[in-house]
Amino acid sequence: MAAEMALAKSISISKLGNYPKPRIPQTKFFRISMSATSSKPDTKSSSNKGAKKGIKESLLTPRFYTTDFDEMETLFNTDINKNLNEAEFEALLQEFKTDYNQTHFVRNKDFKEAADKMQGPMRQIFVEFLERSCTAEFSGFLLYKELGRRLKKTNPVVAEIFSLMSRDEARHAGFLNKGLSDFNLALDLGFLTKARKYTFFKPKFIFYATYLSEKIGYWRYITIYRHLKNNPEYQLYPIFKYFENWCQDENRHGDFFSALMKAQPQFLNDWKAKLWSRFFCLSVYVTMYLNDCQRSAFYEGIGLDAKEFDMHVIIETNRTTARIFPAVLDVENPEFKRKLDRMVEINTKLLAIGDTDDSGFVKNLKRIPLIAALASELLAAYLMKPIDSGSVDLAEFETQLVY
Amino acid sequence: MAMNLAAASFTSWPVCRPRTTTNHRLYHHQHNTHKPNISLLHHQHSILSLPHRTTTRAATTVDSSVPLQQEQPSSKKYYFVVANAKFMLDEEEHFQEQLAERVRLFEERNMEQDFWLVIEPKFLDKFPKITSRLKRPAVALVSTNGPWITFMKLRLDRVLCDSFEADSVDEALTSNPAKLQFEKPETWVAPYPKYESGWWESFLYANSEKQVA
Repeated sequence: MAAEMALAKSISISKLGNYPKPRIPQTKFFRISMSATSSKPDTKSSSNKGAKKGIKESLLTPRFYTTDFDEMETLFNTDINKNLNEAEFEALLQEFKTDYNQTHFVRNKDFKEAADKMQGPMRQIFVEFLERSCTAEFSGFLLYKELGRRLKKTNPVVAEIFSLMSRDEARHAGFLNKGLSDFNLALDLGFLTKARKYTFFKPKFIFYATYLSEKIGYWRYITIYRHLKNNPEYQLYPIFKYFENWCQDENRHGDFFSALMKAQPQFLNDWKAKLWSRFFCLSVYVTMYLNDCQRSAFYEGIGLDAKEFDMHVIIETNRTTARIFPAVLDVENPEFKRKLDRMVEINTKLLAIGDTDDSGFVKNLKRIPLIAALASELLAAYLMKPIDSGSVDLAEFETQLVY
Repeated sequence: MAMNLAAASFTSWPVCRPRTTTNHRLYHHQHNTHKPNISLLHHQHSILSLPHRTTTRAATTVDSSVPLQQEQPSSKKYYFVVANAKFMLDEEEHFQEQLAERVRLFEERNMEQDFWLVIEPKFLDKFPKITSRLKRPAVALVSTNGPWITFMKLRLDRVLCDSFEADSVDEALTSNPAKLQFEKPETWVAPYPKYESGWWESFLYANSEKQVA
């Protein structure tokens, strides 16, 4: 899961009560990483061998999620909800049990060699990339693991799919963390589990958000993979060679959320659903765009232009999302990109204020007009004429469709 | 040992999701009709587990003490999704990746391929409701694995699906070959080239046969 959702948090949809964090999972792999938890958060990379580290928090860091598990149980209780398309879930279960990537994530000596060759600023940029990716995957692991546990009684099939998806995410996070070990680092995932803040989303928002996260994750990975396949001179680190098979997992995870939403048509078929769909699309796309523009050096390092890369990913994700969300944004309208670019400019200025020597009060004062400008760009983008969309299994336009 | 992952066990897998809510009950009903037939249940279960385990489980079904009601009919059920060729082969690039991934899996696990692409399939003549809504030339993805086709319908969404029975693969997958050429997209902004036209050839039934021969 590529958690590109931070912005939705900052706009703060819902802060409802104290919902439980997922339990700390007791799988073998993660117990190892929890064993020596002495580091504090924000201890930035000392290059000690095997140093475990926390992660520097900012508005755009990948987040951990929690949800209303009781409501989830009710939603997928087959006695209550007769809309559950069991054939679709059984089919998904088969697909996940097949476990296409059971033997895919095997490392070789090229990893360490490539890491050793990487020096200077690129080394630091790479480490950050691995950390963020690992956190995002691990975030998916925690959420899915807990959902798998909680839904076992009311819907064993859906529960098992969640567990199998957490298997994938654990694999991905573990592989990325091993990548960090090539740089003599390791993310302390056990510590992260306990120490990081969890963002609460109601189930329906979890569906929109994780669907988008998974699908955008697929498009990011496959785009990097296909680009590097064509331009092997930018293949700085072998992890990218694994992306083709890897991202098929992300894509399948997205399909599962698609099925979950189809089983809850109330989240797809009214005007509110359309507004939320647009809102989540916008949050996810903008978060990614701002994030990646701050890290253009990473993309340059692997031969990509961050903005072009992101626009491609946004357009493709949006096309995919139009297969299920009842409305999506008109991201192919050039005006949408112009708005994104203005947001990048504003965000750059905002970040610059943080780096000055002004007092906190002065900084905040200087930020006000910029935040207002950012908000108005966001609102304008949100209000652009949307595109009606949806799965042909539900959409009204289906009867006119020619396949 | 070559294994056929699908088996003929999904004789009544509800491949398509009807737009009504009766689907739910229908599905349960079909489950029940299978209960007396233990070997079928075994199959159904085994495809849901890891294929390498499937091998041993499938073997145990032989000495089932419950007699089969009848000899298995020689005809098999084929499930399909279908849409116009441009959608299937030109626009949905992830589709190519999925097929390649599945071929890789089947090779790794020594399983017999049970899915094929068919250009302009003959069996469409039996489905006037589908053909009346279909742009031509059309391309179908056909498999004996019903649940997998249900999954592919979920993924591709803009496809029609159904199933039919046929006595042999050859009969099931007969096609009226059409020359497929897609125009280059006007704008191609991806930082990589498109998959080469013709990528689908190795997934066509005729070709997979040649490879075996």
